Amino acid sequence: MFDYHHFPVIAVMILFLGAFLVEIFGAKNKAVRNTIAIVVAGISTVCIYALIKPVFFDGEVISYWMGNWAPVSGYAIGIGYEVDALNLFFALLTVTTFFLSGIYSIRYMEKDEHLGHYYTLFLMLSGGVLGLVLTGDVFNMFVMIEIMTFAAVALTAFRNRSFGALEGAFKYLALGSIGSSMTLAGIAVLYMSCHTLNMAQLSSILGSQPLNPTTVFAFALMFAGLAVKAFIVPFHTPAADAYMVAPTSVSMMFSGMVNKAGVYGMIRLCYTIFHAMDQSSLQILLVAFGCVTMFVGVTMALAQHDFKRLLAFHSISQIGYVITAIGLSTAVGLSAGLFHAMNHTLFKGLLFLTAGAVLKATGTTNLDKLGGLSKKMPLTTICFLVGAFSISGLPPFNGFASKWMVYQAAYAKAVTTGNFFYAVVTIVAVVVSVMTLASFIKVTQACFFGQCPDSLKDTKEVPFSMRLPMWILSVACLASGVFYNFVYEKVLYPAMVATLNTVKYIDSMMGAGYSAAAGVQNHLVDAPRLSVWDPISWLLLFVICLVAICLVVVLGDKTRGRLSDAEGEPQDGKYATFFGGEHALHSHVGGSDLFWGFKKDFKGYFNVVQGAHDGNVNTYASWVVIATAVIAIFMVIFVK
Amino acid sequence: MIIVNYCVSIMLICLGLYAVTMKKDLIKVVIGLGIIDYGVNLFIVSVGFNDGGTAPIYTIAELLNGAASTYFVDPVPQALTLTSIVIGACVDAMALALVVMIYRKYHSINADDVRRIRG
Amino acid sequence: MRFKSGIQERSIVVKCGADSFLPFAVTFGVYIILFGTVSPGGGFQGGVMVASAALLLYLAYGFKNATKALNPEVLRVNEACGATLYVILGMLGIFLGANFCRNVFFNDGQVGDLISAGTITFMGYSVGYKVLTGVGFLLLLMLGLLAPDDDEDEEEEVAVE
Repeated sequence: MFDYHHFPVIAVMILFLGAFLVEIFGAKNKAVRNTIAIVVAGISTVCIYALIKPVFFDGEVISYWMGNWAPVSGYAIGIGYEVDALNLFFALLTVTTFFLSGIYSIRYMEKDEHLGHYYTLFLMLSGGVLGLVLTGDVFNMFVMIEIMTFAAVALTAFRNRSFGALEGAFKYLALGSIGSSMTLAGIAVLYMSCHTLNMAQLSSILGSQPLNPTTVFAFALMFAGLAVKAFIVPFHTPAADAYMVAPTSVSMMFSGMVNKAGVYGMIRLCYTIFHAMDQSSLQILLVAFGCVTMFVGVTMALAQHDFKRLLAFHSISQIGYVITAIGLSTAVGLSAGLFHAMNHTLFKGLLFLTAGAVLKATGTTNLDKLGGLSKKMPLTTICFLVGAFSISGLPPFNGFASKWMVYQAAYAKAVTTGNFFYAVVTIVAVVVSVMTLASFIKVTQACFFGQCPDSLKDTKEVPFSMRLPMWILSVACLASGVFYNFVYEKVLYPAMVATLNTVKYIDSMMGAGYSAAAGVQNHLVDAPRLSVWDPISWLLLFVICLVAICLVVVLGDKTRGRLSDAEGEPQDGKYATFFGGEHALHSHVGGSDLFWGFKKDFKGYFNVVQGAHDGNVNTYASWVVIATAVIAIFMVIFVK
Repeated sequence: MIIVNYCVSIMLICLGLYAVTMKKDLIKVVIGLGIIDYGVNLFIVSVGFNDGGTAPIYTIAELLNGAASTYFVDPVPQALTLTSIVIGACVDAMALALVVMIYRKYHSINADDVRRIRG
Repeated sequence: MRFKSGIQERSIVVKCGADSFLPFAVTFGVYIILFGTVSPGGGFQGGVMVASAALLLYLAYGFKNATKALNPEVLRVNEACGATLYVILGMLGIFLGANFCRNVFFNDGQVGDLISAGTITFMGYSVGYKVLTGVGFLLLLMLGLLAPDDDEDEEEEVAVE
């Protein structure tokens, strides 16, 4: 029972068992429900963390056949679970996210009704995502995608009296269902040519001969279906609505686990099953999608008035970084993509948790109505600032390290291939990072600094069990940024090597020597160790500069920092700040007022992009269909 | 390799996609989602066809006479289709429940009215 | 557009039809669940057939009487019990030393017998029980959404615009 080979299956099944037990026992009794949910989530977390030693440190690949149905004469006949370092990497992100979200939702959801259903759906969503990242069978992956989609839609519509919850859930269901149907059609076409459903055997069949148009068409369909789950532009529209209307503990799970599951699916598809990442056409496709996603995400975020919708668009934009880095198909690029995925889970989870704290304390997420919360909720403000610095890529937090690796990977690719496109990609990545910083300055000013409106005079800090996950994530953000080398050596390097080592993946599942008999080899074999920057010396420099600036300000001229009276009369209204000093009345610079010049200059572009998001389910579905058609045509022509 | 099945399933998928992208009534959108599922199910079952094979079960007559036929059609796509039918039924049920609640809240089920979140 | 407020009148033909059809539907559904490993069918198919009992009761007797016969709360709890039984039967394999979902008892019967496939037979039964209670609950829930009070007002207007 305690053989660690059983731990992946136990981790997934205990979550489903917990969901069913909450359904039986937890409808009326709050203590039983919370206990079952936290205990089950805790057991699952411990099982997955206990696999770190065999898989990361010793380099073993756990292969597990359900029902002991081992392959018969070289053909896989059972459902297999295979855990190598890439699977375990994403599984660690998943369990961390849902465990912290479970702790957070005990106090966050306490005023809602039907909480038995909430915890059932919460555990089913967690079980579905964990099953997706641990499985080695392509149809089991589809079933887990469906479980994940249903639980996610139901949780989006959970607070069904709040604004837009039902319509967001309906759009998520419609577009998610189209994506799942395309994935299933792709699996059926793949079965038609390969007659197997096991990922390792598919990998060896597809790696031993060149791709024919049937398998390329299957690739295109599965690629589009998994892209709907990963919320890449133009499949991103349900994400923007769903993250906004779901309860915030659930939004944190969406942005932390659900789109990472889509990213994991795409990595498995492109790198392991189809062996297609050494073709430059596929690299250009992935990088192009990534760039468009980055850019559209951040420009839409600049124009938002709702806190959670802004965070949703930033989430979409950061996934664009991950897809760009993965599409570069170099060792540095792949590890940059994985590092940014991990950091995105940490800092975006933190940001969503602070948004939930603001929502619970004040009752609104409209940026035009918030303000000056740093005096009422100081601890939340500190956590929010850690998250905002991380996402903008400021040292010494983890966002800087991973974004630096992405820029480095893109630039190195531009130098080695001499293709101007990759230089453009580097420039776009840096510009998007600057715009992310601008957007978070806007949010910080609008929500936490400035004057506090009268309606928010008596907001209090949130309870301790809601602050605890925020503290844990803030410490993790800082630690993974400062101890970057440790994270790279112990966590990212094994995951990256495992992704590129297809031979080991196949041989662990199907028996030693199988891939050699089929003629499959590893394509990308170089995996240099890298040292990017030295955070400790940067931190020292930062502290010295900070001390110097403080000394200059404190010891300087006493009249510095005071405004003199303007000639003529002081103006009224909100611009009185700039003329009348602090004697003006309500001088709060709201969230919509920053960067108004930028938005005015690019009015045409903003009108087009915002007008295209018109909220109509038909429009969004037509984007999905057109994008799938473009992907299919591009791949059938260019991918060989 | 039955050509008719494949043609019809592709036609069903295209019809379903047309309904989802062009029809304004939300009930028609849900029907379109269902038709896409049925088209994909027909496609999966047709993938497993072997010309001249029998159903993949043993009948009592075969077992008693001891001459069980072994040339079956492929049973794996049939199992996939069963799972997919269940999933399609659940998607339709959930979508219809959402449409009923949307009607109660928005008093209309036209896609042009159900778009309060935009931009 | 307003929804019609339920079935207008309890006609004797529908009541007699449902009364005579219901035992056959339930028995046939249970047969398909029980013989799942031997003949076509199995848990889901038989479960849906048995759950048609809920629909027949609604058509013949109206929503209030249907919920008196099949209490939705009891159905909901039983669905979760069926699902728990499935997971526990799967975990039996792990407790007894093999992998998940391994056939660990009754697995040496003849092909064609009723209990011949091992743990899979019982997992099929628990799936059938889960589906019959689950689909029955789902049908009653959605019918309850549409026509919550159709018994008291049989003379109500046909309000379709």
